[in-house]
Amino acid sequence: MATVILLVAGMAAVVLLARWIDSQQPAKAPEATAEDLYLSGNTVRRMSLGFNGLVADWYWMRSLQYVGQKIIDLPLEVQLDSLGQLNLTLLAPLLDTATTVDPQFREPYLYAAVVLADVDPERAIQIMKKGITANPSVWRFHQHLGYIYWKQKNFQAASETFSQGAAIPGAPPWMEAMKAKMLADGGSREVAREIYQRMYEQAEDQEVKEMARRRLLQLASLDQRDALRKVLSLFETRAGRCPASWREIEVAVRGMRFSSDAAGAPLDPSGTPYVLVKSGCDVDLGPDSEVPRK
Amino acid sequence: MLGRIRAIAANAFREAVRDRVLYNLVLFVLLLTAAAVFLGELSGGQERKIIVDLGLSAMLLFGVFISIFVGIGLVYKEIERRTVYAIFAKPVGRGEFLVGKYLGLCLTLLVNVLAMGAGISLALMYVSRGWDPLALQIWPAILLIYFELTILTGVALLFSSFSSPALSALLTFFVFIIGNFSADLKSLATSLGSSAARIFFQTIYYALPNLATYSYITPAAHGQMPTGAGLAAAAAYALAYVIVILSAATLIFNRRNFK
Repeated sequence: MATVILLVAGMAAVVLLARWIDSQQPAKAPEATAEDLYLSGNTVRRMSLGFNGLVADWYWMRSLQYVGQKIIDLPLEVQLDSLGQLNLTLLAPLLDTATTVDPQFREPYLYAAVVLADVDPERAIQIMKKGITANPSVWRFHQHLGYIYWKQKNFQAASETFSQGAAIPGAPPWMEAMKAKMLADGGSREVAREIYQRMYEQAEDQEVKEMARRRLLQLASLDQRDALRKVLSLFETRAGRCPASWREIEVAVRGMRFSSDAAGAPLDPSGTPYVLVKSGCDVDLGPDSEVPRK
Repeated sequence: MLGRIRAIAANAFREAVRDRVLYNLVLFVLLLTAAAVFLGELSGGQERKIIVDLGLSAMLLFGVFISIFVGIGLVYKEIERRTVYAIFAKPVGRGEFLVGKYLGLCLTLLVNVLAMGAGISLALMYVSRGWDPLALQIWPAILLIYFELTILTGVALLFSSFSSPALSALLTFFVFIIGNFSADLKSLATSLGSSAARIFFQTIYYALPNLATYSYITPAAHGQMPTGAGLAAAAAYALAYVIVILSAATLIFNRRNFK
């Protein structure tokens, strides 16, 4: 019994001491957490002794934790595809190592296309091209690369990439359709909607799926706000002033098949009422809206 | 002769069980359970892949440790305890003794690998909330891991037939490492200008086991399976290599003087 008590007391002392020692450590400098990786992807692959899948998993989870921690540290709400402001210097080498050690590991490529493309587009393109070389039968990598080019507004390259992906056996017909759409109207909301709709349908990662869902909400909301602005403009032309409340334009808004709340305010795609701004001359998202502003 | 080998093998298996070698399964189960519960949040939806990578890697790692540390003790312990005198006083050949010991440990490893494989399959079904084809697709990779372990056990037995346990463990571990670099050895042999160096590296390449052949964990995690021909070739290679090293071990062991 005395030995058990000694064991428990000793363990408690060890935990308490460890916590005290941790509390005495100075806070880590930001540059310390972003220290460069010591080993290149190829070196890691050689050193992994057949455990390369596990090593790739480790680098993948490190990428997730790295990005996740940066998002937590940021006081603002940011979208997964707009993390350029976070200074994610380690993300490219982490994803590059994960995909070099296990070139068939698909999720890091998707992450490179969605997250890294906003941080370091050139490295993202490089990683995607590496993935296409290593997995020539995977049409989805062409979709990811096409997405990066589309975000860069390089619609010619995006069209060519979708075209190459469409030629791969098993690629869906919309890949071929995207080729033409990119060239004809790459910058349109319609193309953006299709891009995010396909991403939403195919993403296994819940974060990416959620990002695509929010972008779809945003696109729908942009269309709605354009329509509402037309109504506001028409009202201003007729009345010589902007509406004081939604009630004044309720009939016109309802005619456009908007759902509205008890006060007559139209609801955005996430179900939150829009608000009138600039003395009723413009419309904006409600403060609680789920629809991204940027 | 087969009866004697069988008796020694059964005894070696019982001894391994008595030595609590299979207790590593407890650690393995804990590892997989923790992985199945916590990986969902950490891996961004990749828990199936990571469970296969983690499970098969742990299977290989635990197996390597058992092969090395139990393998080197198979012969050494008998000599140390002097039980080898009692065995050789009976009509048991030294080759039969080595083969029996080897097969006993291979049986232990087989039980270990089967239990771990079943654990990984169950963990996959748990995270998939039902039947998961990956639970079946991983078994060829498990078979390849087992073949690799049988080779390594033979290597450990070979070293322990003439060397101390510590040195045997070290040498076997080196063989495991170099065996995984066999492709580099081959490319080194072909790229060298000097014919002597080329012959040297080619000799090492063929003399050491090509363990990279058995490394199928990463493709298995993506649901890929080796071809039947590839699997058969790997089995044949393991069998041939084991015959060679057990023959060498027998030759060395036959020359040892126990007086």
